[in-house]
Amino acid sequence: MVLVQQADFDAAALSAALRARAGGQAGALVTFTGYVRDYAPEQPTHTLFLEHYPGMCEREIEEICATAQKRWQVFEPVVVHRHGELRHTDQIVYVGVASAHRGDAFRACEFIIDALKTRAPFWKRETLSSGEQFWVQQRDADTEKTRLWDQPEKGKETL
Amino acid sequence: MSGTPSTINVLYFAQVAEHTGLRREAWPLESPIPGTEWLSILEARYPQLAPTKRLKLAVNQYHVSHDSLIHPGDEVAVFEPVTGG
Repeated sequence: MVLVQQADFDAAALSAALRARAGGQAGALVTFTGYVRDYAPEQPTHTLFLEHYPGMCEREIEEICATAQKRWQVFEPVVVHRHGELRHTDQIVYVGVASAHRGDAFRACEFIIDALKTRAPFWKRETLSSGEQFWVQQRDADTEKTRLWDQPEKGKETL
Repeated sequence: MSGTPSTINVLYFAQVAEHTGLRREAWPLESPIPGTEWLSILEARYPQLAPTKRLKLAVNQYHVSHDSLIHPGDEVAVFEPVTGG
C-alpha cells in the first residue's frame, strides 16, 4: 500500500493493520519513520516544504515495493509519504515491512527507504528559524547507498 | 496530460520551476530529439538553468537518461536530483 498525502499518519495504526493483514504469519515487523529535524545543530529548522510529482511518486514507490517483494520474502510493504508544508518534528515518511523472518524485514525496509530517497520525485525546501530558505541538495552518501543495493551479494545474505 | 502530436508537455519542479518562472509549458516538437539535444535548447532559452547536465529528466513519468529520445506528445519533466524520504 502506497499513500502520498498531505495529512499526518498514525504509525502505530499502520503497523497494527500490517500485522493484521499478515494473519499471524509475520514473525517480524520492521518500520522506519522519518521526521523533520534541524537542518544542522547551529541551523534550527522552522518548516520543511515538500514538493512532489503526483502520479510519478506513487508509481516509483509502488515499483520499489514490488522489487523488495521479489527480492525478499516479505508481505506487501506499506509506505506513506507526506507532502506540503511540515513543521519541525513532524512525521514525513513511514515504511513498514512484515516478514516471517527478521533478516528479510530489516533488509527490505532499508532498501525501500534508500531507493525512495534517490528515485521518488520529492524535493525539500528548508525554512530555518533565521528565515533563511533553500532547497536541500541530494547527498552523495544517499546515491552511494542506493547503488550498493545493486550489488547482488548484499541482498542475498539472509539471517 | 500529454501534449498534442506536435508538442511536448514540459513540467518544471522545485528549483527548476523557480528558475523558469513556470510550472509547465507546451513546447513545439515536430520529430523525436535526444534528451541531451533538447536540454541544450532548454539551456539556451533559460540560461539561468545552466549547467543542465546536472538536471534529471522523466518522460511520461519514468526516469530516463539524457541520451533517451523525446517524442512529440510526451510529458517531459525536468528537475534537480530528488530529496524525499
